[in-house]
Amino acid sequence: MAEVKLRNIKKSFDEVEVIHGVDLEIKDQEFVVFVGPSGCGKSTLLRMIAGLEDITAGEIYIGDTYVNDLHPADRGAAMVFQSYALYPHMSVRENIGFGLKLNKVPKAEIQRKVAEAAKILKIEELLDRRPGQLSGGQRQRVAIGRTIVREPSVFLFDEPLSNLDAALRVQMRMELEKLHANLKTTMIYVTHDQVEAMTMADRIFILNDGYVEQVGTPLELYRKPANIFVAGFIGSPKMNFLSVKVLQIEGQQITLQLPGEDQMQLQRENINFQAGDILTLGIRPEHFELEQTKGCSLSATVDIIERLGNETYIYANDASDNLLTVVGDGELDVSNNEKIKIYFTTDHCHLFGRDDQSIQ
Amino acid sequence: MKPKQNQYPLRYSIYSLIAVVAAMIFFFPIYWAFSTSLRNPLDTFTVSGFGIPFLNFDPTLTNWVDQLATEEARKAVYNSTVIAVFASILALALGIPAAYALARFRFKTISNKDLTIWFLSQRVLPPVATVVPFYLIMQFLNLLDTQLALILINATFVLPFVVVIVRQTFLDLPIELEEAAFMDGARNYGAFLRVALPLAAPAIAATGLIMFAFTWNEFLFAITLSSKEVITIPIHMAGAVDTRGVQFWFMAVRAMIAMIPPVLIALLAQRYIVQGLTLGAVKG
Repeated sequence: MAEVKLRNIKKSFDEVEVIHGVDLEIKDQEFVVFVGPSGCGKSTLLRMIAGLEDITAGEIYIGDTYVNDLHPADRGAAMVFQSYALYPHMSVRENIGFGLKLNKVPKAEIQRKVAEAAKILKIEELLDRRPGQLSGGQRQRVAIGRTIVREPSVFLFDEPLSNLDAALRVQMRMELEKLHANLKTTMIYVTHDQVEAMTMADRIFILNDGYVEQVGTPLELYRKPANIFVAGFIGSPKMNFLSVKVLQIEGQQITLQLPGEDQMQLQRENINFQAGDILTLGIRPEHFELEQTKGCSLSATVDIIERLGNETYIYANDASDNLLTVVGDGELDVSNNEKIKIYFTTDHCHLFGRDDQSIQ
Repeated sequence: MKPKQNQYPLRYSIYSLIAVVAAMIFFFPIYWAFSTSLRNPLDTFTVSGFGIPFLNFDPTLTNWVDQLATEEARKAVYNSTVIAVFASILALALGIPAAYALARFRFKTISNKDLTIWFLSQRVLPPVATVVPFYLIMQFLNLLDTQLALILINATFVLPFVVVIVRQTFLDLPIELEEAAFMDGARNYGAFLRVALPLAAPAIAATGLIMFAFTWNEFLFAITLSSKEVITIPIHMAGAVDTRGVQFWFMAVRAMIAMIPPVLIALLAQRYIVQGLTLGAVKG
């Protein structure tokens, strides 16, 4: 039971600063995901909370305790590593019970807790094996078992599913969600996979280049990305971005020149640009429409068609040769090099200024 | 992987032949020592052919019985064993913590790399250059002709190797394992004793074995610092030369005795090392 607070956290490796003053607050019992591309500092941030990485500047609190100077062993956190980091010379039983043994818990109690964790994770019949004799998924469960028995105040996960195959990943994802629902403990989860972030998180922290770009629930991030980076990172396939020219501003009404002949009108409150400026318009592939004629439209030529069965991805070039992605239904009737009209409504348009920030 | 024997019969036979010839070249001196040790002194220079027992001469155990009966031989085995075992243990006991510290902690005033090279530099000097200083030190400490003197000196000599080899072993261990131990509530020494050390054990055993062999074979300091009491096997072997020339029959027996312990330990340790390699990978 603990909230986690980071105050102006900075991290430098030698001369290079990789995390530039991160402030964040994680509530008790919250499932938080740090997501971002590789090298964005998400793992470093997690390791600083764990105590495995020195803190260059700033303060970290777990609960009400200032933990900057505490050894990892004293922070009350437990961690699942990307490589699982199971002790190869110990049986599964010893791996799970290791932390308890170190804390001088009586043997009978260790037995009971290990058995309980094994039951939750369905690894009872593996207890006497060595990690070398387990499959990836089984090792993952053992690694989780090792954290559960310690009853930590915070669980830390460092890309725990990235070594598993796709089917197993989906299954383990659900099991982790269930685990969180049962244990009701603060969990911090690091991943580069936005699908994992969207499906599991109560709140997502999007990191890029050592800065927090945006914090919010999965749907907030999907619906109202704060900037181009977040808009492009959340959602799959990626959001389409078009360069548009501001033709006219009348009060809150903006007229934009789309690539080619088409024009469109949008309502915005914070107008910090003028006619003639080039802005970025973002539209998600699933918000493009080919068959129903409504709202605004764009002309394009079909380049590649990918049929997934339930839906179809169409990659098409617009008049300025931008590659647009359209998600249509599975039966969509299109062919290569066909000239198409892409329709969309203004409610699903995101407008970004020259500073890459969203214009509301 | 199995060699594909049937696919390339000729090539495979040639490789085998080369292997057999090479093995024979390496084993011949050992075989010859063994054969000589079973001969009557008179037969030593007169045996024809390959000196095959029963075929070329009548073997006898006299040399073995004579040698093992002497107190010098038994003393030499005893001295060498004590010195080699304790010097290796002492070097490991001092070297392993140093190696771990160099592998896992970051020193600021002198960098880890410089410290490691400084350890190794102790072996750049030819040992003979240090004979006189060591002799004087041991004389001052009143340790001349004692096992302790040779234990200390041999431990000093093998310590740099222990540090360098074992440090590399610790560097090769995935650091996540020790980090996991920290998260499980272990301190530095807990992570070292319960996780890093057991995982490095096979490599440490192999290192200990090599250090044992080094010490077992050490000649220069053994002959300089000991005169009567602490004769070791290499000195004893050299002692098979007397005014009538080399007594090859005794030399052969002593050589065989000198070889047995390291070979036995190597065989035992080999199984242990193989076991260590099959512990299982960390990643999935």
